[in-house]
Formats: sequence, C-alpha cells, structure tokens
Amino acid sequence: MRTAVGVLVLASLAALFALPSVLSAYYITLVLPAVAYAIALLGFNLLFGYTGLLSFGHALYVAVGAYGAAVLSSKLGIKSFELVLLLSGAAAVAAAIPVALLSVRYEKIFFGILTLAFGMLFHSFLFKFYDITGGDTGIRVLRPSLFGNEFKDLDKTAFLVGPFYYYCVGLLAVLGFVMWRIVHSPFGLHLVASRENRRKSEYLGVRVRFFRLIAFSISAFYCAVGGAILAINTGQADPELAYWTHSGELVFMAVLGGFANFFGPLVGAFTFIFLKSELMGITQFWRFWLGLTLIVIVVLFPRGLVGLGQDLWTRLHRQ
Amino acid sequence: MNSHRRKLLQAIGGTGVVAAASPYLSFPAFAQNTPIRVGVIAPKAGIAGTIGECGLRGTMFAVERINATGGIAGRKVELIVEEETNPKDSIERLRKLVLQDKVDCVQGIVSSGVSLAMGAVAEEMKALLIFWDGTTQDGVKETMASPRYVFRSTDNECEAVMASLLAIKYWKGKFKTIAGINPDYSYGRNNFAAFQALLKKFGVEHKVVADQWPKVGTTDLNSHVAALKAAKPDLVFSSLLFADLPIFMRTAHGAGLMDGGTKFVFPAAGFQHTALKKSFTPEGMIFGHNTLYFDHKDASPLQKDFVKMYVDKYKDYPHWEADRAYFAMQVFKAGVEAAQKAKNAWPGKEDIISAMEGVKVQSLGGPGHMRKDHIAEQTFYQGLTTHKNGYDFPTLGTVDTMYSDRIQKPPGGDFWKWIETAQIKL
Amino acid sequence: MTSFFDIVLGGVFHAAVLFLVAAGLQLVFGVQKIVNLACGSFYALGAYFGISAVNWAIAAGVPPALFLPVLVLSGILLGAIGPFIEALLLTVYKRDEAFQLLLTFALVLMFQDVLRYFWGANPQQLGDIATQYGKIVVGTLQVPTYNVLVILASIAIALGIGAFLQKTNFGRILRATAENREMALALGVNVRVMYASVFTLGTMLGTVGGALVVPTAAASLDMPVELVVEAFAVVVIGGLGSMRGALVGALIVGLMRAAAISWYAELEMLAIYLVVIVVLVFRPAGLFGKAVE
Repeated sequence: MRTAVGVLVLASLAALFALPSVLSAYYITLVLPAVAYAIALLGFNLLFGYTGLLSFGHALYVAVGAYGAAVLSSKLGIKSFELVLLLSGAAAVAAAIPVALLSVRYEKIFFGILTLAFGMLFHSFLFKFYDITGGDTGIRVLRPSLFGNEFKDLDKTAFLVGPFYYYCVGLLAVLGFVMWRIVHSPFGLHLVASRENRRKSEYLGVRVRFFRLIAFSISAFYCAVGGAILAINTGQADPELAYWTHSGELVFMAVLGGFANFFGPLVGAFTFIFLKSELMGITQFWRFWLGLTLIVIVVLFPRGLVGLGQDLWTRLHRQ
Repeated sequence: MNSHRRKLLQAIGGTGVVAAASPYLSFPAFAQNTPIRVGVIAPKAGIAGTIGECGLRGTMFAVERINATGGIAGRKVELIVEEETNPKDSIERLRKLVLQDKVDCVQGIVSSGVSLAMGAVAEEMKALLIFWDGTTQDGVKETMASPRYVFRSTDNECEAVMASLLAIKYWKGKFKTIAGINPDYSYGRNNFAAFQALLKKFGVEHKVVADQWPKVGTTDLNSHVAALKAAKPDLVFSSLLFADLPIFMRTAHGAGLMDGGTKFVFPAAGFQHTALKKSFTPEGMIFGHNTLYFDHKDASPLQKDFVKMYVDKYKDYPHWEADRAYFAMQVFKAGVEAAQKAKNAWPGKEDIISAMEGVKVQSLGGPGHMRKDHIAEQTFYQGLTTHKNGYDFPTLGTVDTMYSDRIQKPPGGDFWKWIETAQIKL
Repeated sequence: MTSFFDIVLGGVFHAAVLFLVAAGLQLVFGVQKIVNLACGSFYALGAYFGISAVNWAIAAGVPPALFLPVLVLSGILLGAIGPFIEALLLTVYKRDEAFQLLLTFALVLMFQDVLRYFWGANPQQLGDIATQYGKIVVGTLQVPTYNVLVILASIAIALGIGAFLQKTNFGRILRATAENREMALALGVNVRVMYASVFTLGTMLGTVGGALVVPTAAASLDMPVELVVEAFAVVVIGGLGSMRGALVGALIVGLMRAAAISWYAELEMLAIYLVVIVVLVFRPAGLFGKAVE
C-alpha cells in the first residue's frame, strides 16, 4: 500500500511537470491556482484533518499572503519571490499567533465562529482602511523574480505557465514533503491523539493548547504561501480574499477531496478549481450546482473523493 | 438556462448558412468566413448584477443590429458571455476567453476593483480589451499611462465634476453647510473630494458638517441618516449606487431630512432612476443620468428605437450601462472596419487597435470618441428633477448636456491639478 | 437631544432587524446544536417573497393598510420549506460539525442562485409602501411609522418566543430536549417531530423577518452573506443558543453601530468585531451562554 501511494505521488508530480507540454496555456493558468490552493490546504488540513479544529476564517492567512506579496512587490520594490514567500509567511504566522492564543482554548463550533470573526475583522480592516490597503480595489502585485532571474523576455502568460508554474509545482512538492514529515512526526501524532481524546492526551502530558498553537501557525504559513501564488497569478490582492465565503471554499475543497486522508485536500483543490471553472462556463447558475455537489459529497460521500477511490480500490481487490 | 442563452446568442451570431444570404456585397470575400468572436465579462449576481444585465442588453442590441446589417466588415458577431465576480475569478474568465475561446476582443467590466487588476493582465497578455465602465486609476492616479491593448471608459469622476458644476451654477450662494454620504470605495471618495475641490475653485464658501461612508450594499441606513440629520446640512452630496440610494432617500424622507428644503446632488443616480419614487424624493434634485438619459426629448432615432425595444421587451427603462456597452461594441466595429478599408484585407489585431485610436462613433446616448490614449469621451446628461411626467419616478425638468472633454482631465494630467488650473466653464 | 434620539432609534431599528435574523439561528442551535449559515438566506428569501406577495396584493386590490399582514403571512407560508431542509440536515445530525456547517454553506450557495433564478440580479424594492404608512411626529421628533412597527413586531416576536419556551408544554419539552437529548428520547419525546418543528419555526423567524423589514430596505443577492456575519456577531456576543443573548447581542451590535457611524464612521463594522473579540476574551461563552471549553 505504501509503495502504491509513493508511486502514485511520484506519477502525479511527473504529470504536473509534464502538463505544460500537453495542455493549452489556459488550462495551465487554471492549474496554477489549484497548486496554490493545494499548498494552502496542506496547511489548513493540519489543523482540520489532523488536529480536528475547523477554522472558518483561514482565508485571512491566504489574504495576508496575497497582501504581503502586494506590499512587498509594489510598495517596497522587493522582487525576489523567495523573500516574498518568507516574509509573507512570517507575517501570517505573526497574525496567527494572537488569534490562535485566543481560539485554541475552544474546540468545535466555537473555534469555527471565533476564527470566522477574526477573518471578518481583517476583511473590514482591508476594506475600511482605504489609505493603507487600497480599500475595495486592493493593491497591485508585480511580477517577482525567481532565484534572482526576472525572465524579462517572457510576457506575463508565458512567465506564469512557464518558470512560475514549475517553481510552484516544485514548491508544492517540497512543502508537501515537509508536511508529510510533520504529520508523521511525534508532533503530528500528538495532534491526532489530542483530537481523538483531549483529556486523555492531557493526562499523558501532551501540551494540547501549545501544540495546537504551533499547528495553527504552521497552517497559517502554508496558507500565506498559497495566497502569495494566487496574488501573483491574479496581479492584485483584494479584500474579497479575506471574506468568509472564501474560507468556506477552503473547507469545501478539503471535504470534497476527503480531509481524513493526507492527499485528500490536494485532490479537492484540483477538482474544485476545475469544477468551478467548467460550471461557470456552462451555466450562470454555477453556484447552485456547486452547492448541490457539496451536498451530495457531504451526505453520500463524507470521506470525499479519495475515500470514494479507496472504497472502489478495495472492492476491486476483493473481487 | 445559460446554455440555452448561449445557443441563442450563437444563433444571433449566425454561421455560414445565414451569412450566405445577407448583404455581403459591400465587402470583398475574406478567407475568414467564420464569425468574429467577442467575449463579454459582466456581473450577473450581487450588487452590480443589475448593471451587468442592462449592459448585456445594450451589447445584444448592438450585435443584433450589426448582424442584421451584414456584420462587422462582413463577418457576423458571436458573443461568449462570462460572469464578472471578484478580481481573481474574473481574470480567470479573461484568460479563458483569450486563451481558450480565442476571442478577437473582450468587452465588459463594471467594477473598478476588477478593471484595475484586469487592465494590467490584459495588457501583459496582449489581449484587446474594451471596458464598459470601471477604471485603471488607483484613486485618481492613472496606473496605465499609455496602454496598447486596453481601452477604457471615461474617468469615473466625470459625473462628479458635472454634478458639482451644476450645483454651483444653480445654487451658488444658496448653501453653506454640506454633507456627504458616499459609498465606501475609491469611487465614492473621489467623487466627494472632487465636489469639494470644485467648490473651492469657484470660491464657494462651504463647511463639511458630516461625511458618511456606508459599505456598498448596506440595506439599513437609519443610523447614517440620523447622523446626517444631526449635522443639519444645507446640501447633501451622494454618489451612492445600486439599491443604496433609494434606501437612503426613503430613510431620509422618513426621518425628515429633506424638510428644510435640503438640496441634493446625485451624480450617479441614473443607475436606479426607476427605483427613486416621487413619493419620497423632492423635486429639483441634481440628478446624473451619465451617458444615457432615456427620456430625452431630442434623443437620436437610434436611442428612441433602443428605449422602445427595451420597454417592450424588458418592461423597464434603460440606464447608462447599456450605452457604455453599445459604445464599446461600436468602437470595436469602427476600428475593424477602418483598418479593413485601409488595408483592403482582413486586419490584424495591431491594425485594429491603431484604427480604434481616435475613432468617432454614434452611441446610444449620443456622439462619442476614443481618445488616442485609449480613454473614451462621451456625452453626459444631468439636470434638475421634476415630478411633472407620466412615470412614478422623477425625470429631468431641465437637461444639461456636456461632452466629456469639458469634465474630464486631458491625457496624462493630474486630476487635482487639472481642477485647480483648467479653464472649466460652468 | 433630537439628534441623540434619532441615533438611538437608528440603532434600535437595526437591532430589531438583527434580532429577527439571529433568533432563528439561536433557536436551531439551542436545540439541534447546528449552526445554520443559511439563516441569512432564509431572511433574504422572505424579503424577496414578501415583495412578490405585496405586488400580488396590489394587483388584487388589497388596501395598503393590509400590506403588513400580507407580508407576515407570506413569511409564515414560506416556513413550509423548513421541514424539507430539516430532512436534509437529518443526514448529518450525528456527524462532525464540519459537515453540518458545510451543508448549510452549500445551502447558502444554492439559495443565491435560486433567488436569482426567480427574481433576477436586480435588487428588488417595494417602492413607497413604507412611506404610505406615514410618520409619527412629536415636536421636532419624527419617526416613520413603519420603522416603529418593525421594532414593535420584533419585540412582540421576542416576547412570544419567550412565553412559548417558558410557558407552554411544547416549550418545556423543547428546552428539556435541548438540555439532554438522550433523556428526552428515553422519556418518550418524539425528537424527530421536535427537530422538524423547531427548524421550521427557526426558518419562519427568518422569512417573516425578511418580509417585515423589506419595505424599509431592499432585497439583494448579497444580503444573505452580509447578514449572516452580523448575526454571528450578535450570537457570539449574546452567547450561542440563548434567546435572551440574541436580544441583548442585537441591541449591543445595533447601538454600537449607530454610535460608530455618528462619531467615527471608519469604525462602523470594525467596532462590532472588536466587541465580539473583547467578549470572547473576557467571557468566552458570551453574555448569556453556557460555559464552554
């Protein structure tokens, strides 16, 4: 089983790297946000899937990443994408710590509502403090340099579907590997243990709140990285990124793919982006069909697409 | 529903079969007998949905007429409509239209947040894009001084400048204290600031006693009205849009804000002209209809046809977004046809763009042209409202008409400096 | 003095509106422990449907004085969608909160397009119905009669729910079920019927609220997602699941908003979230909530 997973992961990565030679540029510009959301969801799911804390306000950190990229590139003239990622990530962690300190005292729905309130607080700040944040229109995000290379000869699309795309897929692989190590480390096991039985793990000496704080901060970092990629793809950071419905979409993706599995949210991110994009092309009532899909998943396939795949796999094997 | 509509649009667009019968004579036969594809990105939901709807109707009207009279330089027009939402998703839609559907031109966009982001993306993608509305200004500072591929509408501040000039013309000396209630985004902020700058320029002494910035889409304005009423202004300036303005006026009426003969200046009221009922609005407000005043007595036959069609078909009276959308399509058509004529062959994108620069067209609301720096000039209509009409909402008693070269800053200039130094006629 | 009264009245009016949205949320959470993100959608549905109902009434020649009952009736009728949605929620009662929250989030998405399908993208308004109800003028004070009616209706509904929960047999059983579901089951309470009725009642609170308020406002597609956030602020301040909390929370949010608008407009929404966070820091369960961990 483990080797099968390994083969599947390597094959998917190879496929992602090979995509630009198969797919048209448009589809690659769609894969890019999917990769961004996949990274954000890796972090989100550390908190949701592994720690059992459902945040309905994680769009906040995606927005911090996006605004980080915006401020650094168009206000401070920092071009290096590596620096942008590190600084935006750090900003997200700095924003996450006070929120986490307050929120990890709770679980379940209270945790969800509290994170939602913080997300909306940030949204109002972005919206209202026009002079600092550009209000509703937000801030432009300029093209970064990758490892010091600006790719001046490429136009924006060529840059996005070329070097930037490979860079982000690479980033997904690296951050995915790191997250894999995190969830399989003693730290990750502690998180799972405290999800299963908080009291018991406290007796056993797990510092539940502290560990959750750390998990929260890591998830914020991942979300910010995703947000920075999204913002560069769009060329703009705007307050809608922090709106609660965007947080809802993150949860949607995680559940669509299956949050109980490490790879579920990644599958969810890719499926969601393509589903939404295709639906928007087919019908103006895409929200309805998206909602209906979500209901079907929640009611009939709570383990998500990956869970569905696993069931089919076992059934085939039994035969 | 939409797939149905799309088929319909394609049917309007027509393909070879229909095209064969239509008057092809004035144009030589081209290798490309396929329709010209135009992508439209317009809001369909949310607070701006009403604007997108009206604009789309303007586009469809334009396309029906164009296709009925032989198309653009002999080629029929086929529309592909996508939804404008937030900047992130709308830019995905733009990429789909350009990279996937390979459209020849993209038109649309209402929100300045989206247009600001999308302008830069389209320019980098070398995609021909004509905005209906919106802007590429960050505040009033132009972010795209000389774009090649992006064509923009008139600056957002035009209507504010015009309304301010009318307020001074009609009411100078009749008000001392002013209050603003404007939407909480750059449009509202610039509008109110422009009003104050113009008052200063024309030496109108005034004092701002209140300024309110409700979020767009706020449906309960009781507290805002209470705050305004407490400040007792002689004049209220408001560029509220969408349903917000009717709600504001209804609330203001209920609270007695207009009892003391308070004057009202509404540069952007035309978007919801039918929702501002007579029963809760006073006569004599300064009311902006922007580039299309549906009830204009001296309107062109084109406008009269359009308004009649609109009333018959949609049971409503159109506002200016239909004109902006129609204008965008006409500018594209004029550009293609001029380039085709000059070249006597099917023109490339660059030829079309060069031909669009400086092109003059007749739009629904009146004449307009596309400046060399890719900013539109159009005809604006505002005036003082009257209740003497056959509708249940006010119309203009006196119509003031201004071509936008009087109320828009010239290419490259700074807006605030222009207000200070320009020779602006009242 | 007049202006102070105006500002307070503006705040109380907003509180009345918020209470109507939040009450349904509280009732359903109190009993079923489900946070219904779609409570704003019910409110919006009530608003849109109320507009259509009044337009039918006008076409049928109903006199303006009866528009208010027409609106209330239309809201009550719409409550009929409650049992169907509850039947959907039934599938996730025993699941993780994430599924419950997501299911109602899916409803938010779907309702937005349902509203658009039936009523279009344009914000809908009821012309000058509210204006026809006239004003109450006392000296320099003037208040639209309709606004006063909305405030009174909100108070009546609050009192009605209070009496219903405290005084009636059904209310007692309902509170008992909320307290201890297993015990209620063991004592022979038909929890199925109980849940369906509570959810329907919660839906009705939203739809009636939307229908009642729409003459003073407008019905728009963005209303559901905007309102639900304010409703959340209300219930977090008041305490999840507490009716009294909803009332007090709504008053705090409404008055805070009015005060912010009058004295420092930039703080309009921010002030509300700040209160939310302060309450959560010092009194995590909200003012009237039960202690949480």
